[in-house]
Amino acid sequence: MINDIFNILLPQVCLGIFIFIQLICSMFLSPKYFRYSRLISAVGISLSIVLLTTVQTEPQYFGFKNSVMSDSYTLLFQFIILLCGFFTVLLTRNLIRERKQNAYTLHAVLLTGIFGALNIVSSNDFLTLFISLELLSFPSYFLIAAKRGYYSKEAAFKYLITAAVSSGVFLFGVSYLYGITASLNFSEIYEIIIEKETSLIYVFASVLTVLGLISKLAVFPFANWIIDVYKGTETSILAFLSTIPKLALFGILCRLFVFPLSSSFELTFVILILSLITAFWANTYAIRENNVKVILACSASANSSYVLLAASLVSVYNLSTVIFYLICYVLMNIAVFAFLNITENNSLGEKIENFSGLFHKNKVLGASYAISVIGLAGFPITSGFVAKIYLFSAIANSGLIFVPFLLALLILTVVALYYYLKLITPMFRKCDGNTGVKVLNAVYSQKFVLIFCTAVTVLIGVYPDKLIELCRFIAYNI
Amino acid sequence: MEMFLSIPFLVFLPLAASLLIMSPLFTSNEISIRRFTKGIIGFHFVYMILMLIFYNGANPYESQLHFFGLDWIQSLGVKFKFRLDGIGLILSTLTSFIFLMASIASKINIRKNHKFYYSMLLLLMFAILGIFTSADMFMFFMFWELELIPAYFLIGGDWGVDYSENHKKSAVKYVLFTFLGSMFMLLGILLLHYYNYVSNGVLSADFWEIMDNSIPDGIQYLIAICFLIGFGVKLPIIPLHTWLPDAHTNAPVPVSMILAGILLKTGAYGIFRFNYQSLPESFISIAPILAVFALVNIIYTAFVAYTQKDIKRIVAYSSISNMGLILLGLCAYNQLGLTASVFHMVAHGLVTSGLFMICGIVYLRCKTRDIDSLGGVAQKMPRLFGFGVLIVLASIGVPAFAPFIGEILTIISALFSEIGDVMKFVSIFSLPLLIISSCYMLKFLHCGFFGKLSESFEKINDISIHEFIVLASITAGLIIFGLFPMAILNFVGA
Repeated sequence: MINDIFNILLPQVCLGIFIFIQLICSMFLSPKYFRYSRLISAVGISLSIVLLTTVQTEPQYFGFKNSVMSDSYTLLFQFIILLCGFFTVLLTRNLIRERKQNAYTLHAVLLTGIFGALNIVSSNDFLTLFISLELLSFPSYFLIAAKRGYYSKEAAFKYLITAAVSSGVFLFGVSYLYGITASLNFSEIYEIIIEKETSLIYVFASVLTVLGLISKLAVFPFANWIIDVYKGTETSILAFLSTIPKLALFGILCRLFVFPLSSSFELTFVILILSLITAFWANTYAIRENNVKVILACSASANSSYVLLAASLVSVYNLSTVIFYLICYVLMNIAVFAFLNITENNSLGEKIENFSGLFHKNKVLGASYAISVIGLAGFPITSGFVAKIYLFSAIANSGLIFVPFLLALLILTVVALYYYLKLITPMFRKCDGNTGVKVLNAVYSQKFVLIFCTAVTVLIGVYPDKLIELCRFIAYNI
Repeated sequence: MEMFLSIPFLVFLPLAASLLIMSPLFTSNEISIRRFTKGIIGFHFVYMILMLIFYNGANPYESQLHFFGLDWIQSLGVKFKFRLDGIGLILSTLTSFIFLMASIASKINIRKNHKFYYSMLLLLMFAILGIFTSADMFMFFMFWELELIPAYFLIGGDWGVDYSENHKKSAVKYVLFTFLGSMFMLLGILLLHYYNYVSNGVLSADFWEIMDNSIPDGIQYLIAICFLIGFGVKLPIIPLHTWLPDAHTNAPVPVSMILAGILLKTGAYGIFRFNYQSLPESFISIAPILAVFALVNIIYTAFVAYTQKDIKRIVAYSSISNMGLILLGLCAYNQLGLTASVFHMVAHGLVTSGLFMICGIVYLRCKTRDIDSLGGVAQKMPRLFGFGVLIVLASIGVPAFAPFIGEILTIISALFSEIGDVMKFVSIFSLPLLIISSCYMLKFLHCGFFGKLSESFEKINDISIHEFIVLASITAGLIIFGLFPMAILNFVGA
C-alpha cells in the first residue's frame, strides 16, 4: 500500500497536504492575510505538477487492489487538469477579495475539486469513480454559491439537484453492471463482457451509466442546468467549471468506452442522438441571447456534444482527436474566461453591448480575447481550426453511416459562428469619441493567463504536429 | 530559378506587410500607410510579372515549407506545399493587379481607420494568393477560411463614407453563407482525404496525388456535390447567390472591386481544382446538370439586373450572370472551355472592377446611386464618360475588348463539348445573354450619363488623377487582352 502511494499517488497526496494547509490557515490566520491563499494553492498545484514526474506509467501500474491505475493517458489528463487548476487559481483574485473571510476555505474547496478530478481520471473501479465524482461535485456546489447574491444560490441548488439525480442514474446503471458481472473493476468487467453475448440488460446498464456521467458535460437530457449556472457564477469559477469536470469526465468516459462499455453497439447510437440533440439545442438557444455568459454556456454544451460524438465512435484515431480537441478547447476557454474575469473586475456588465468599442482602448487584451473566440469558432491560425478539422475527420473516417451526423454538426457550427461573431463584433464598434469606453484594469496574473493561453492557441494552430503526435502516442497506449 | 522567384515570398509578402502595418510601432499617418501599401503591392505586381515572364509550362513553380524538417501535419499527411501552374499564375497576377487598383482607389473612398483598413486589405491579399497557390487541400481550406476574417471587417467596417447598420448585416450574411459553403467543402475534403487513403494507400492531401478512379462511385458523387455546394456559394450558383448583391452594394468601392474581381473567381478556381481536375469522373456526369444551373445563372440574373434601380446592384447582378458563363466554360470539359473560362475570369475581373470604380466615382460626387435621379453627368464629367463608354462597351461584349473573346470562346466550347446534347442546348440558349447584357448595361450608361443635368449636380468635378490612373489601366488591360488574347490563352494551353 505504501508502495502504491509512492508509485502513483504522490501528486494527489501533495494536493491533499495543501488542502489541509489551507484549512489550518483558515482556522488560525486572520482574514487580512487573505492574499496568501492564492499563493499557497498555486504552490501546491505547481508542486503537484512537478510530482507528476514520479508517477510510474510504463508499464501500466495498478494500485490499491486494482482500484486505481496509472498510465501515460492518465498522466496527460492529470497534467492538463492541474494546468487548468493553476490558471483558475490565478484568476480567483476577485473572488477572494470579495470573500476575505472565506478565502482559505474557498481555496481548500477548489483544491478538493481538482483532487477529485485527478482521482476520476486515474480510477479503475466504479466505486472509486463514484467517490471521486462526488469529490468533484461537492466542491462545485460551494464554489458556484461563492458569489454574493441570489442567483448564485439558485444556480448552486440547480446544479445540486441535477448532479444528485444523475448520480442516482449512474449508480442504477452500475448496480446492473455489477449484477451481470459480479465485479466493479473495469478490467474484470471488460474480460467478462467480451466473452459473453451482449444482453439487453447490459445495454440498458451501460446507457444509464453513461447518462449519469454526461450530466456534468451538459449533454441532453441533463443540459438545462448550464444556463442558470453560468449566469450566476463568478467567472474564475466558470473557468474551473468549464474545463476541469469536462477533462476529467471525458478522460474516464473514453476509458469506459474502450473497456467496460465497449461491446454495446446500441450505446453508440444513443449517444449519437443525444449529442446531436444537445448540439442543436445549444446552438439554437444562443442565437437570441445577449448575455455573454449564457452564450459561452451554450458554446460549452455544444462543444462537449461534438467531442462526445467523436468519443463514442471508439477507435485509436478518434481517441487521439478527442484528446487533441480537449487540450485546444480548454486553453481557448480559459483565455475567454480570463478576459471576462478582467471585465467583471472592472464591473462592466455581462451583456454584449457592454463590450462596445473595448478593442480601441485595450488593443492587446481585446485582440487576445478576439483570437480566442475566433479559435472557438474554428478559424485558422488558431488551434481551434486544426482541432475542428481533426475531430471531424475522426467522424468522417468512422464510416459512411455517420456522414449525415457529421453534416448536421457542420451545419450547426455555422449557427455557432453567428453567436461567436456576436461576441466579438461589438468590441470593434466605433463609439462616438470613445466616451463610454474604459481602459481595463488588469493585474499581472489575469494578463498572464489570457495572453499565455492565447499564445499557446496560436502556436498550436501554426504548428500542431508535435501535439498531434503526442495525442496519437497516448491514444495508442491506453 | 527556385531561389530567385519563390512562391512563399510571393504569398507571405502581403502578410508581413499587413503585420507591419498592424503593429503599434508603425506610423499612423494615413499618407505614409497608403504609400507603403501601394509600394508593397506595386512591387508584388512587378514580381508577378517576372514570374509570368520566366514561367516554363513544362516545369511549374513548386515549393514546400518544412517545420523542423517535417511536413506541416505529418500524421495527417498534410504538407505546407505551394504550386503554381499556368492558371494559378494568371489568377495570382490578376489578384495582384486588382489589389493595386483597389489600393489606388482607396485614397478617395476610405476616410477613417486607415491602419486597420490597409492591414486587412493586405491580409485578404495574402489569403487569396494562398488559395491560388496552395497544392494541398487542407491548406486550401485554411486559406479559404482565413479569407473570411478580413473580408468581414472590410465589408462591415466603418470607413467614413455613409456607414449604416446594413453594412454589418450584409457582412454577417456574407460570412455565414460562405461559412456554410465551406462546411460542406470541409466534409468533402475529409471524405476525399480518407477515401483516397483507403483506396490508394497514399496518405496525402495533395491535389496531384488524388486518384479518383479507385474511389467508389457513390462516394465520388457525394464528395463532388459537397464541393459544388461549397464553391457554389462563392461563385455564386443561383439559389445560393443572395448574399452577393447586399455585400457588393454595401462594401466600399475598393472592396467591391476586389470582391467581384477576384473573390468570385476563387469559387470558379475551386471548382476547377477540385471537381474538374481531381474528380474528373464524377464531374463528367454532373456537368450537364451544372450547365443547366449555369444557364439559369446567365439568363435569370441578366433579367434581374435589368430591373434594378441601384447602379451598384446592376453591376453586382451582371457579375453573377458572367460567372455563369465561366461555369459554363468549365462544364464543357474540353481544353477550349477551360481556356475560355480562365480568359473570361481575367476579362470579367477587369470589367467588373472598372464598373464598380465608375459607380463609386458617380456616387461620391452625386451622393446617390438611384438610376432615376442620376442623369446628365456626362456634361460635367467628360473624361469619366469616355472611360465609362469604353468599359460598358467592353462588358457588353463588343469586339476588340477582352470579354468578347471570353464570351464567344465559352459559347463555342460548350457547342463543341462532348459531354452531351444538353451542352449544345445550353450554349444556344445562353446566346441571348449578349442582347440582355447590352440592355442593362446601356440602361446603366443611358440613365447614368445622358439626359438632362439635374440642378443638384451643377457643381461636380471631373475625375481626379488617381481615378484616371485606375480607369486608364483597366481600359488598357481590356484592350490589350482583346487584341492579343493569345497572351493568356497560351498559358492555359500549356
